Amino acid sequence: MNTFLAALFSGTSRGAIYALVALGLVIVWRGAGIVNFAQMGQAMFSTYIASTLITQGYSYWVGFIVAIIAGALLGALLDILVMRPLSNKKKSELLSSDSMRAAVPVIASLGILGVLQALAGIIWAAEERGFPAPAKQEGFTVAGNVMPFTSFDVFVISLVLFTLVVTSLFFRKTGIGLAMRATALNQEVAKLSGIRTNRTRTLSWAISGAASSLAGLLITPTSNLSPNTLDLVLIVGFTAAVVGGLDSPVGAVLGGLILGMVISFVTFFDTPEDVFISILIVLLLVLILRPRGILGRKDSRRV
Amino acid sequence: MLKVENLITRFGSVVALDGVSLTAEESKITTVIGANGAGKSTLLRTISGLEHPAAGSITWQGQSIVGLHPEDIVRMGVAHVPEGHSVISELSVEENIAMGSLFRRRKFKDDVANALDEMYQLFPRLQERRKQLAGTLSGGERQMLAISRALVSRPQLLLLDEPSLGLAPLVVEQIIDSVNILCRSTGLTVLLVEQNANTALGVADHGVLLSLGKVVADRPASELKADANLRAAYLGY
Repeated sequence: MNTFLAALFSGTSRGAIYALVALGLVIVWRGAGIVNFAQMGQAMFSTYIASTLITQGYSYWVGFIVAIIAGALLGALLDILVMRPLSNKKKSELLSSDSMRAAVPVIASLGILGVLQALAGIIWAAEERGFPAPAKQEGFTVAGNVMPFTSFDVFVISLVLFTLVVTSLFFRKTGIGLAMRATALNQEVAKLSGIRTNRTRTLSWAISGAASSLAGLLITPTSNLSPNTLDLVLIVGFTAAVVGGLDSPVGAVLGGLILGMVISFVTFFDTPEDVFISILIVLLLVLILRPRGILGRKDSRRV
Repeated sequence: MLKVENLITRFGSVVALDGVSLTAEESKITTVIGANGAGKSTLLRTISGLEHPAAGSITWQGQSIVGLHPEDIVRMGVAHVPEGHSVISELSVEENIAMGSLFRRRKFKDDVANALDEMYQLFPRLQERRKQLAGTLSGGERQMLAISRALVSRPQLLLLDEPSLGLAPLVVEQIIDSVNILCRSTGLTVLLVEQNANTALGVADHGVLLSLGKVVADRPASELKADANLRAAYLGY
């Protein structure tokens, strides 16, 4: 029973972080129609900025806020400097077919990931360093047993829930959210409706950048910080987004929690070596039973 | 008034518009007819800024709009309903219409809600289906939605591309009638592109016949409709 509870708690806190990563992916997907593999590179970069500030004597919260702003700016910058020129079909012969137009930004995002990791290695050296947590990382005690569930986990879960609610409401209830969704779904109709698609796309990148920075700040206290530490998190987060449905923020969080639970229960009841095969099995099952993800919208086109 | 002069639009080596000149008079329906591939859609897409012309001029109410972005051309009162019931299937009916008025939210806050209501009065079926996804609508309803999305921006010029495409004759009649009534009652200027020449010439004041990117006839609609030679030569009936 205690092992069960422990697995449940650990699954929730891990899952919350994967949910946040998935949420960041969903935001760029919904706002710009791109799967952004550079996302955790951006998160790593802004977490290093926070780490530098904190080691220089600034408080955790100064580092936290600066990192989130830096994440937003970096996201916006990547869109303006890399993605926007790529989507300009007048300039690029490469983009003559629809499939290339979809593939090129994704490949570019992988390139950005490599560049960010190399840059971080040059600036901050490649060895691991620790990153502080703003709350205690000692487990709560339940009936005399120390549970793998800490004040920091509570902090993580509440921040993730807050981010989920805010982004869902933002997409569904605000005009800018509608403009962002319209831009991702059909750029031509969006432009003809008077939506400034370049700006809304940059905004999606900025919001996603901020959300991923948050994920970076919340993961590194338990995983340490190095240019590559977040790669694995991205893989799980991406799987979570696909499992939940790439276009659904609620689905992203659900997918994150499911994967968090799978990883945690496999680790506790089986062996950690089986974690990746079980993630793959979950992914395959979902793709077979619900190809658009658990909460992904069915193709609504008729005829 | 919209004035197009010697407009040339190319796609690589293909010349889609080969020196087109025409005018759309204020508060009148001008129709551009012609066979498939005549350049009708390209003409509208060039006017609304989706395509950039290689040469020529487009003047709307005395101002040149060549080279402007579509987002800015809409703000000048030119709304384009592209070919093929262009709505966003994954958004609800309500969201599709609201989309067209997003850019007016700040400046014309009070009028945005009115404009939305007017769309539902114009096409009551859309109100019944407000919360439904646009992808679940019938072809006719989708065309109504696409037109509403354009009209809610309160344009002075409506560019309408083949509203009859793939629709039953009765539905076509209903949609064309709505546009006609709107033009007569509000003074909207309409540039209507149609392959269905009879229907278009039936409501239009003026007709322009396009063939392989060139204007071959530019006359009052009734004259064009009566000219059996032209019809036989260019429209094939």
